[in-house]
Formats: sequence, structure tokens, C-alpha cells
Amino acid sequence: MSRQRPSRLPIYQVDAFTDRVFAGNPAAVIPLESWLPDATLQAIAAENNLPATAFFRYEGERCAIRWFTPTIELPLCGHGTLAAAHVILNLLDTSAERVVFDTTAATLTVSRHGSGLALDLPLNRAAPCAPPAGLAEALGKVPTAVLTTRNYLAVFDRADDVAGLTPDLAAVARLHCTGVIVTAPGRDGVHCVSRYFAPALGVDEDAVTGSAHCTIVPYWSGRLGKSTIVARQLSPRGGALTGEVCGDRVILAGEARLYLEGTITL
Amino acid sequence: MRLPIYQVDAFTDRLFGGNPAAIVPLERWLPDGTMQAIAAENNLAETAFFVREGEGYALRWFTPTVEVDLCGHATLASAHVVFRFIEPERRRVAFETLQAGTLVVTRQGDELAMDFPAWPPQPAEPPSNLAAALGRNPTELLASRDWFAVYEREADIAAIKPDFAALRRLDRAVIVTAPGTGGVDFVSRFFAPAAGIDEDPVTGSAHCQLIPYWAKRLGKARLAARQVSSRGGTLTCALEGGRVTIAGQARLYLEGAITV
Repeated sequence: MSRQRPSRLPIYQVDAFTDRVFAGNPAAVIPLESWLPDATLQAIAAENNLPATAFFRYEGERCAIRWFTPTIELPLCGHGTLAAAHVILNLLDTSAERVVFDTTAATLTVSRHGSGLALDLPLNRAAPCAPPAGLAEALGKVPTAVLTTRNYLAVFDRADDVAGLTPDLAAVARLHCTGVIVTAPGRDGVHCVSRYFAPALGVDEDAVTGSAHCTIVPYWSGRLGKSTIVARQLSPRGGALTGEVCGDRVILAGEARLYLEGTITL
Repeated sequence: MRLPIYQVDAFTDRLFGGNPAAIVPLERWLPDGTMQAIAAENNLAETAFFVREGEGYALRWFTPTVEVDLCGHATLASAHVVFRFIEPERRRVAFETLQAGTLVVTRQGDELAMDFPAWPPQPAEPPSNLAAALGRNPTELLASRDWFAVYEREADIAAIKPDFAALRRLDRAVIVTAPGTGGVDFVSRFFAPAAGIDEDPVTGSAHCQLIPYWAKRLGKARLAARQVSSRGGTLTCALEGGRVTIAGQARLYLEGAITV
């Protein structure tokens, strides 16, 4: 039996929502000429072992995009989209001003924005709720307010409260929600800080989370009466983003840095 | 600064099997903090760095969080990179390490053979909750660097679903092993949740303990081994004097450059 010639694919690793390597949220990005079997996409993402591997393929002027964690396909991944756009706009198509990604569920546009990129995402407003049983115990500190969407948004008074949390992740995983966003006012020109825990998704603490800011930015925009929100995610790696509410959309702007450029052989 | 990087699956002949390691050959050492940050960014079980030194190389290994004393699969992967990309004419490479002495890797056909110390497991008083954490009673419990639990059949090993929270509280990692089938002399799995790895796909250092045990029990100096993790690994083993030879294939996945 003749062995099929091995196929070689380009690969990039990009740190998203940061202006320096080793910070932000890392994603692998793999441009494809044609789609591979789902099991191969999943195996590549497992081999990369990063929070997300984004695969995209040009279809005319637009790109189809899919994202995989080491174990599952994701319905939406902000940092993986920013990372893919960084590869396209800074390496592959440097004359383009924007890139439009199509997913099975949505269209996502990423545009140049100063030295960085801006990602147009659906707004996901949280509504006030009674503090759910077990939340304060799981976080180890009582929030001043709790709101809910698919995540809980637990609000604290001070940035140090958020930085100092060491949640009981097993207890967080038992809450009836996708994950828990914790947030507080920032200082020195930063409007808000946050962290995001989603142990039920297999992510104890996410480094920087685009989708969480679809909830964080409208909350602080309303509370502070500001249209543009400067945000920091206080994970160990840390991330920086700027958010703006535009109707039912949130425009998230951030920088990204290329860490690795190479080739994989399948 | 731009540095070359490779990702290699060790102890396997097929992509997505074995144990992946990142390999970063250096012209000179980077600050420890930079090497640790690169290993964290790669987020693989190990990233190996090596620098040319005399006739061989000085070698260090980092997990995403700490530097480690010895790592078999990243040594095999490093040798693969030396033989394939740096010195293709070589048959043998010696790595000087900080804690594990000189590690020699030799080409043997399709395989790379590593010369490692033998750590025979000894009778020991196991922690009272070990068998419960493994979910079934072993026929024999020994210890060397790691706890060493012996079972009757390969099916026992495949069926183990450890209580990782309980294993995390132990002072050592755990090897589980049983006789193999179909030309394989023994199978094993390796659990090290306290070191941040619930289950390691293929573990060279575990075989420093497995080889002397099975060589004595089976009366054989040459042994074929499988680590039956989900990724799976194949090792060709030998006991010679006080040393073991652990041989396996390696498969290149990624070749590229990083900017740090």
C-alpha cells in the first residue's frame, strides 16, 4: 500500500489582547486550503495543547473560521478570532483593512484599529439577580452585586478584591452557569478589572476572555456613563482591551503579538 | 530575538501518539526566567533547551511551571532534532545535565536508544489510601522514585480510573503495570497529579523503574513495553549492568521559529 505524501501546513501562535509575548491569551492559528476531517482538526488542537486553535479558510472575500480547545470545538472564541485576524492582516494580506469571518452561528468582523485590531461581537447584557446559593462561598468573598446571563457577573468594590480571589474551582463548577466573571473598578486610567473562571468548560481560569467582555463592557459603560471602557483582565498572564457599546454590539479592541511561526507535518 | 523551535512526539512512530516535547536549540543560555516563560507559552509537558558544549550538548528541561531534574521523552526528542537538523552525520550524542549526569543517545535503526540509570523498585509500606485511589487492589506494591503498583492483567491497567484528587495528596507519582500480551512484555501507565500532570502519555523515567522489575521477574534482559495512555507509546527496553536502555521512535510535528 502506498503511503500518502505527508501534508504540510503553516502554523502560527499568537498572544491575543496584549502588547507583549508571554502575556495575553495564546492561540494557534492554521490557515487551510481545504477543510480537514473534524477528527484531524481536533487532534491538531490536542497536539498544540493551547486554550484555542483557530482554523480558517478563505471563501471568496470572506473567511470561514472554526475554533477547537484540546478537547472540544467552541461555538465562539474571541481571542482565537483576534489571533487569526492578526495573522491575516499583519502577515498574509497586509493591504486589507478588515477581515470578515463566517461561523455557523454568526458573522464576525475584525478591523484595523490604531496599532491593534477591533473585533465586533454581539453584546450580552447581564441582568441583576438574587445572589445564587453557593456563589460567595465558591469565590471565598461576598460580592456587592450579582448579575446573570449565561455567566454570573459578580461585582466587587476594589481591584484588589478581584486580584486576591482564590476560588474553590470545584464549587464554581457546581454552579448553574457557564462560568463566573468577577469584576471591580480599576484605577490609573483603567475603568474596570476582571477575571473569568469556567472550570465546567475545562478552563479553571481563562487568561483573557473576549466573550466575557461582551458582558463586562456594557455593565461598566452603563454604570460609569462612558461609551468607551478601558479594561484589564487580571489573570496571571494578564490582558488589556478597550470596549465600546454600539447598539446590540460590543467593539473590543486590543493588540496581539506573534510568538511562533512554522510548519506542521501531518 | 528569533530562536528555532521544534515539536516532536517521542516514543511513537505516528503523529498525535507518544509524548510531545518542544525543543529549542540555543547558541547560549537564556536567563532562567525567559526559558521558563517559553515553556509556559508552549504549554507542553516539557520544553527542552540545549547548548553546544565540547563534543556534546548541555541539556535542561522545563515544564510550564518548573525546571525538572530528568525527562526521558524530551531527551529522546532533543536527540531526534540533533540527528535530523543539526548534525545528521552523527550516530551518537551525549547530553550533559545538571542533576542526571551524562545521558547518551544512540541511533539504532529507526529507533533512538537512551542510556539511563536503573532504579529497581523495593518493598515499601504504601500509603493506606493508594489502592483505594487507584480503584482496585494491586497484587504487589513497591516503591522506587515513584509508587509502583503491579496488577495481573493488561485489562486491569486499561480499566484504572484513578481518583486524581486523592493521588495529588501523595508524596510521589504512581506507576501501574502488568504483563503485556501479543509480543509486549509489560504495559504501564503513569500518574503524577501532584506535579501537575494527571496522566503522562509516555514516561522515560518510569521505565528506569519498570525495566529492572520486569527483567528480573521475566528473566529477560530485553523487553518490549507499551505505555497504554490514550496517546500511547512504544518502548524497546534493555537492562545492562546497573543501567537501562530505553529506545523508541520519534515523529516531528512542528518546525518553526519563535520571537521572544
